[in-house]
Amino acid sequence: MSPDRGYQASFNENNQEFVIAGKLRPRSEDEIRPLAQSLGEALGQVKGTFYLNVKRLARLNNVAFRVIAGLVSQVCGGRPDLRVEVVTSSVMGWSTRKFLPLARLLPNVSVNEYDKDFYPGQSYLEEGGFIPILRAQTKLTWQHEKHLLPRHGLRPGMAMADVCCGIGDFAVLVQKELKPASILALDHSRSSLDYARKVAADFGVSGIEYVYGDASEMVLEDNQFDFVTCRHSLQVFDRPELILRELYRICKPGGRVYITNEKNSHCLGEPRAESIQWTYNEVARLWADYKMDIELGPKSRRYLIDAGFEDIRVDSFMVTNLDGDPQSFADIIQSWENVYAGEMARDRGDSPEFIARFRQGFQDHIYAALHPKGYAGWPIWAASGRKPS
Amino acid sequence: MSGTRPLVEISMGIEAFASEWLHCDRISSYLARMVSHNRTDSLLYANLMSSALNELLETAFAHHGPEGDFSCRVSRAGDADVIELDLPCDAAALSFYSEAARRLSQPDLAETYHAALFSPGRADPHLGLLEVAVDYRARISIQPEQGNRLKLAAEMALEGAAA
Repeated sequence: MSPDRGYQASFNENNQEFVIAGKLRPRSEDEIRPLAQSLGEALGQVKGTFYLNVKRLARLNNVAFRVIAGLVSQVCGGRPDLRVEVVTSSVMGWSTRKFLPLARLLPNVSVNEYDKDFYPGQSYLEEGGFIPILRAQTKLTWQHEKHLLPRHGLRPGMAMADVCCGIGDFAVLVQKELKPASILALDHSRSSLDYARKVAADFGVSGIEYVYGDASEMVLEDNQFDFVTCRHSLQVFDRPELILRELYRICKPGGRVYITNEKNSHCLGEPRAESIQWTYNEVARLWADYKMDIELGPKSRRYLIDAGFEDIRVDSFMVTNLDGDPQSFADIIQSWENVYAGEMARDRGDSPEFIARFRQGFQDHIYAALHPKGYAGWPIWAASGRKPS
Repeated sequence: MSGTRPLVEISMGIEAFASEWLHCDRISSYLARMVSHNRTDSLLYANLMSSALNELLETAFAHHGPEGDFSCRVSRAGDADVIELDLPCDAAALSFYSEAARRLSQPDLAETYHAALFSPGRADPHLGLLEVAVDYRARISIQPEQGNRLKLAAEMALEGAAA
């Protein structure tokens, strides 16, 4: 490790992964001789595939690039059995383009922009008609969250970050009604960010900066924000603890991190409760098959404690058909059915019989929501923790 | 440059600039952050701007006249930003930049850049300029000025360049 030089380098033998992070702009090759030596030794001892992880390497000049490329070329040239996979991140902007010529030059080198693999459900969430779901959801959850957020520590004038901001409508509502000094809203979907910027511009809302980023490895400095939100997102990741670690890192000591998550199997409705219950139990299994935990809500307390937070506060609330227009609630359920019983169930290989029963539960939930004497609910857990001072 | 709006400029003596290698990194990081704040994605833009600007500054660090003022200015022209380095220039530096201008005007610039990137032995001294021209699609102009000075300008449209 050489943190004083602006970069960190480490080799994990078990993964055969050499990680370089930080800033690497030496004047001469001599300045990074220790790095070159470690990399050379690591390359010399591996078999099969060697991973050169530069996804958190923020800066790299040509002096350093030539040292790295020279070592890789030298080893690969003499060992056609060895494969070198350079792991980049789209967040940096320059790194994939910088390393691609190396892959063109050497047949056993490849460049893999890793971000897409980290988000197993992102394609469904981006392209599966989720924007209408998200809009309707925020509209209904805001009725509850606008009262909860001050209880969890959000105050006017705070520096706030909304990580995994999606289409940005939550950030707009917060900025308009709760008046933080500024909001940095980050997401890994360019299409969602484009939409978010348009929403903010259409409503004439300023003070929100929308940035592209990877929630698990944000290019943001430590200890920047008084209040960090991350809503309905830990449940989408297969390793939520990585996200929490980053939320903790960017939060100021004494500041708070606020998360919301669901427990979908607890969605309920009357009449037709049994069919509804069956379908939402299956929703939880479906998400688990895609490595997402839609049951995470009640686990929030444990996750926050394990991440090092203190003064944990947990609330739960039920979004229901009585919160406003029942049709809005029904529209959300219809959107869930379209995505879960549509593309996701099909891609999992579910039978037509299963899908028909799966769909029926959603339709029964809609029936309950619109029934003059019916009741339909969707439970959400809001939790926050304070970063120790 | 006409039609551009000045954003920020850093000036110092060339001896001061060239006394410390870290100046290249610090100036490029600082200026990139300053000019990126109102771009669509400020962090991504700053990453790209810093990378390109650093290569230009490292080139100027290595090739300049012995004394006189050095300035680095960033101006905006719509989607594009223009980086201008104004530096003292002696005969050796003039020869270096004249050769750079000649190479940058040649066809197959990408091929030249990739060959320089992986050339054995000492690094091609024009590598940074070639990279900025190819990877950042910069329009680079190099103009000798009166009084043994030289202006190096790179115009880049980095918005959306990473997508």
